[in-house]
Formats: sequence, structure tokens, C-alpha cells
Amino acid sequence: MSLSRSPSPVPGGGWASPGLTNNLSPSGRSSPTKAYAGSNGTPVMWERQKNMGGAAYQSFSTQNQGFFSRHMRRISSSLPRFKADNTHGAEREKIGQGRWNMPRLGRIRGITGRMSRRTKMLLAFALLFLLGYIIFYSTPLVYYYRRTSWLGGGQKFVIILAANVGGGVMEWKGAREWAIERDSIRNKKKYVAKWGYDLEIVDMSTKKRYAHEWRESWEKVDFIRSTLRKYPKAEWVWWLDLNTFIMEPSKSLQDHIFDHIEDVTYRDINEYNPLNISHPPADPYLDELSKSPIGDGNPNSIHLMLSQDCSGFNLGSFFMRRGTWTDHLLDVWWDPVAYEQKHMEWEHKEQDALEQLYTAQPWIRKSTAFLPQRMINSFPTGACSEKGTDPRIHYDQKDRDFLVNMAGCEWGRDCWGEMYNFRELSYHLNRSLWERFKEDLLCWIWFKLTGKKVKF
Amino acid sequence: MHFAYPPRKSSNPPPFRPRTSALPTIRGKRLKTIVLIGLAFLTLLWLFQRGGRSRHAPPAYHKPSGNPPVVIVTVFNEGKYGKGYLDMVKENRLKYAEKHGYGTFFVKSSDYDLRGAPVSWATLPAVRHAMTEFPDASYIWYLDQNAFIMNPQLKIEEHVMKPSRLEELMIKDHPVVPPDSIIKTFSHLKGHDVDFVLTQDKDGLSSSSFVVKNGEWAKFFLETWFDPIYRTYNFQKAEQHALEHIVQWHPTILAKLALVPQRILNSYSKEKGGQEYKEGDLAVRLYACGEAGEDTCETESQRFAQWKAAYQDS
Repeated sequence: MSLSRSPSPVPGGGWASPGLTNNLSPSGRSSPTKAYAGSNGTPVMWERQKNMGGAAYQSFSTQNQGFFSRHMRRISSSLPRFKADNTHGAEREKIGQGRWNMPRLGRIRGITGRMSRRTKMLLAFALLFLLGYIIFYSTPLVYYYRRTSWLGGGQKFVIILAANVGGGVMEWKGAREWAIERDSIRNKKKYVAKWGYDLEIVDMSTKKRYAHEWRESWEKVDFIRSTLRKYPKAEWVWWLDLNTFIMEPSKSLQDHIFDHIEDVTYRDINEYNPLNISHPPADPYLDELSKSPIGDGNPNSIHLMLSQDCSGFNLGSFFMRRGTWTDHLLDVWWDPVAYEQKHMEWEHKEQDALEQLYTAQPWIRKSTAFLPQRMINSFPTGACSEKGTDPRIHYDQKDRDFLVNMAGCEWGRDCWGEMYNFRELSYHLNRSLWERFKEDLLCWIWFKLTGKKVKF
Repeated sequence: MHFAYPPRKSSNPPPFRPRTSALPTIRGKRLKTIVLIGLAFLTLLWLFQRGGRSRHAPPAYHKPSGNPPVVIVTVFNEGKYGKGYLDMVKENRLKYAEKHGYGTFFVKSSDYDLRGAPVSWATLPAVRHAMTEFPDASYIWYLDQNAFIMNPQLKIEEHVMKPSRLEELMIKDHPVVPPDSIIKTFSHLKGHDVDFVLTQDKDGLSSSSFVVKNGEWAKFFLETWFDPIYRTYNFQKAEQHALEHIVQWHPTILAKLALVPQRILNSYSKEKGGQEYKEGDLAVRLYACGEAGEDTCETESQRFAQWKAAYQDS
């Protein structure tokens, strides 16, 4: 303490610091030192003489020379100090110049003490703004916050995206297929980066392992299993087909579904039952829980969330939660005996198998919940269109549906066209304020004035 | 006027005293504010965190309390056998259950709608039904109708199901379907992980006597086993082959299964089918007895009538 308790400079008065005035000294100080130079210290004089050549002795009478020289002290002493003056005669030599030798806090207090209240407030606001900017825009802090399991919880979600369906041996991808894949992947990557989830892109190309008649299309099960193994912190996996587009990337999964699972899901399939599955199971040997239409009613028991379209279960977009129940389901989902008997009827393979399991085995119903289709799986008007548009099934831009699944577009519809339209629509709906201002107002005014459509 | 000189200042400057702490300005009140700010920050974190632990807790299902510890299940095929014989079988189980405080659950195979599947499939809904009727039972022991409990001293939960005992008994790394199935029982299974205990005879897995631990896994297992798709598949030995099938194809089932030596649960009356009954075994099954002909089950059962004496002794 005693070392640094050097006399503070008094504004307007003070004392010179001899020997400090060497222009070449590495003090890191940018204020002019002329005034000091004039007031004392022969070495400086000597320097000056050298610099100024002939006009040597004049400098003695230059105390009041020019505005800066006259007001130097006043100005400089009101400036914040970045370096305290070395005034201790004894210490001056041994402690290097240009070192801090006042306690930092004291120095800051000195600076703030000299500020007016208004400046302080302004500065505080500026700091706050800067901090906000750094936190929200230029650091990954938000990302880590959203990702951490005990804060944002993003680590608990993994999106599995099925890419390259049927690719490989069976067919070559054309330009459109590449474009679809690129857009779909980019869409999910952005979403995942925004909310701190993980994305697992799986290759669904036809492989020899699955080419056997019995095992075709059961990659899904294997991929879910391996994804759960790969991301040990993941609690939920979200399966997405390639022909899907997240229309509202600003909605997190937590906000959209998981913070209020009990409100958004329905357990009783009778609410919407296109397959006419009799529910609840009525076998006399079952316990009350298995016979209950809503299971135990507790969202903790939900391990599978899917939606139904016009023809039953749809596995283009569904959630599975890590747990024993899921292990069991993934294990029994594929069974050679079932497949041998049913593979001619089961057009949708694992989807039909799940329907069969759901119908036959009451334990499946206890942990299955349904989401209204338009929460996770809206269809474009081309799909399920036999009975016209259905507000339960089809995308409606007014409601800002979360995700579009261009289901079945490879059967005679234009996948790329649909993907492109929905992509553009999503951008349009999620424009920033500035973009809205430009496009809705400026372009409109320009159009009124000149009659020409422009884009800024 | 004479003033004393002030004491001379020492020409040696006083030595620098060390700092009292690393941050000299933080003390007292200041410390308090810092602590308060820290607390406020933690509160904010707590407020902003999502998904507390309770939200994602595993589902809480009913845990059986062990009352009664064991339920004995037998399915009677009433059309086939005489009433006297069936009453004797019932009495055999009732006496044993009474001795140890077990429950019994007797049903007729016609009680369940099997949708045209062979009668022996009724085993599975019966066991499932017993779990419904006795939600607090720890174990369900299914015993075939043509079997007798011979040694009433042995308790299921100690003789078979105690984890340490199971670890001794378990046949590890053994083909599930003899002799050459490539699927073998797990070699690192712990006793308390076992939920399903059964035996093998000469043909394969024997479903005439098995023990299931009551719980969620058992429900999953029995409902899977009873799937209509297996019932319509015409397995040669109905539910027995269906069991062999699911055990070999579904590791979550194999992982809970323990094979024990046949005579622990399921001795046979003849050596032809498997290991023959010896004095002191828990139960004997009358192997391949028919309702008519030379060795009907009723005549066969005379050979093992000594079970009645066992109750009189104790």
C-alpha cells in the first residue's frame, strides 16, 4: 500500500515530474510533454536544443506560448490518467516508467470521481449495450446457454435427418435431388445451430445389409439406436424425413412442445382415429392402467410422440425418448415372423408394423402419445388430398405451422418445387423488421412513385 | 522560548507492510454486496434454466410390495380331464400356497379368447391376468396342469429367485435352443437383473413351469409373446416355439432370461423328455401323458401320490 500511495496530482496545480519529459522515453503516453519540458529538466532542454537546432534559448521564455502550452496542465489533468506519475524521488529510478503503480480500483475510482453523473450514466448504458451485443451477437455464449442441459437443455435433443433415401445402388441423384438435400440439410443445420441441438444426418441409401427382403426399411430402428448411443446426453431424438422443412426456426422445440407436453399431446387415439383402432384395449386380463384410455396421464411416461395423417400413423416426423420402453419397442419393432406374414400387405413397412404393434400390444399404448398433425408434420395440399384440404392435416400459413412434410412428393409431385416454395415462404414469414421496412414500405413507396417494382 | 526539536525522522523509510489481503478494498460491507449480487445471479440462472429434473423423470410405475410373495398360476383344460383329477391338482397347489402364504390363480383355458389359436396359448393371458389380480405379488409361477409340487419345503423366492442363488444356478453361455442355436444365454448376467426363469428339456425351452418377476418388463414380455401375429403363424409347438423365436430375435428379452437346471423347477416323469424326477425335487411334470390310452395323466399321477404325505409330515 504505502508504495502506491503517492501524492495524487491536483487538478490545475500539481508538480512537475522531473526526468519524465524525455520524448523518447517509452512511457506509452501520447499527450504532448512540451509544457513539462519547458518547466524543468535540463536533459529535455538539451534534447529540444538538439531538435530545434539554432533557436535554443528562446525556449526559456515560452511558458505562455500558444493555447496548448498555456492550458496544457488544465487539459491534461482533467484527462483520465493511464499512468500515474513517478514522483517518489527514490523510486523513480528503480521502478520502470510506464508501469502501473496505483491500485487498479483506486485508479478507476479516481476516474469515475472526476466524471459527472450524466457521463457516468451514459457510460454505463454504453457498457451495457456493448455487453449485450457481445453476449448476444458476437460470442457463442447464447449457444452454450441454450445447449447446456441444466440451462437451455438443447443437448437433450437430437435431430436425425434421413438423407439419401434409396440412393446408392438403386438410382443416381439428379440436380433436383441434390438441391432438395442441400436445402433440407441447411434448414436443419441452421435450426440446430440456433438452439443448441445436435443433428445426425443418416445415410439411408440401399445397403446390402438391408437389401434382404425381410430387413428392408428397418434402418430407421438401427439409426435411432445408434444415435442414442452416439449422443449419451440426448433424451429425445426427433426423426425427420428428407422432404421436410422447418418453417418456424425461431421456435424452439421446448417452447413448441416439450415445456407443455401434457397440453399439446393427446393419449386417447379416439380423438382422431383414421385407422379405427379400438381403444382402450378391453381384454379382461389387463390391469386398469393398460385399460385406461390415457395411460397414466403423466407426461413422464410418454416415450413416443407421433402424428397421424389421413391414413394412419405417420413416421415422417416423430419423437422418441431414451428409456427402457424405447429399448423394448426398438427391439420388437422388427420381427421376421411378422414380416414374413405381412410384408405383402405392409406397404409402409415400419409404419404398418408400428400400427400393428400398437393395436396388438397394450404396453405400447401406455407410453405413446399423439401430437396434432399440424404441430410437427403439416402436409402440403398435394398430400392426403382425396377429400380436399383438411384443417387438421394441411399447412396453413396464417397459423405459422412449425414444419412441413412434403410426404409422398416423389410419387408424381414436384419435390423440388414444393421445397423451394416453402423455403421462400419461410424466409418471407420470418423476415426481420429491417427487411419488412425495406420491402413493405420503401419498395411500396417506390412502386407508388415510379410504378416500378424494385428490390432493395 | 525553547521548543524541543521534533524527533528526527529516521533516514530509513519505514518498511513496506504487506497487504492484509489480496484485494484490500473488498471487506466488510463490500463483501456483503458482492455475495448478494452473486446470489441474485444464481437466482437468475435458476429462473432461466429450463426443464427441471422433475419434468424428465422416468415414469413411476407401481412397484410390487411382495404380498403375496408368489402367485401360482395353473390353466385347466376342463373338457379333457376328470373332475377328481383336476381337484387333486388344485389341492396340491392350494396346500403348498397355504404353507408359504402364496396366492393361487386357477383359470380355465376357455376363459380367454384366443382367436382360433391352440389352447395352450391360454397360458399367457392367464399369467398376465394373475399380474392384474395380484399387483403386489413379487413373482408369478406358472405350473402346468399336469404337474405336481413334490417338495413343499422349498420356497420359490429362495429356492429359485434369490439373486445369489440364481447366480449359482444360471446356465450361462448356453445355446437357447439346443443343440446348436447360435444365440446363447448371456454370460455376464447378474442375479437381480433376471426377470424370467425357465428350464430346457430335450426339445428346447420348456414352458410348462416358469417364474416371472412381476413388473413392467413382464407385461412387455407377455404381451409381446401373446402377439396375434405369433398366434396365427402356426408354430409347430404353439407358444413354446413362439417363445423360442422371440428369445432368439429380441435381445431385450434374452437379457432378462435365466436358464436353470431342469430339476430345479421342472423335473419330468419320464427320462424320455428331459431330466427325470428324483426325490427332493420341487415339482414333477407328467411328461407326454394323454387323456386316454395306457398312460393317462390320472394313472400316471398315481406314481407321484407321495406329495400328500409330504404335507402330513410337516
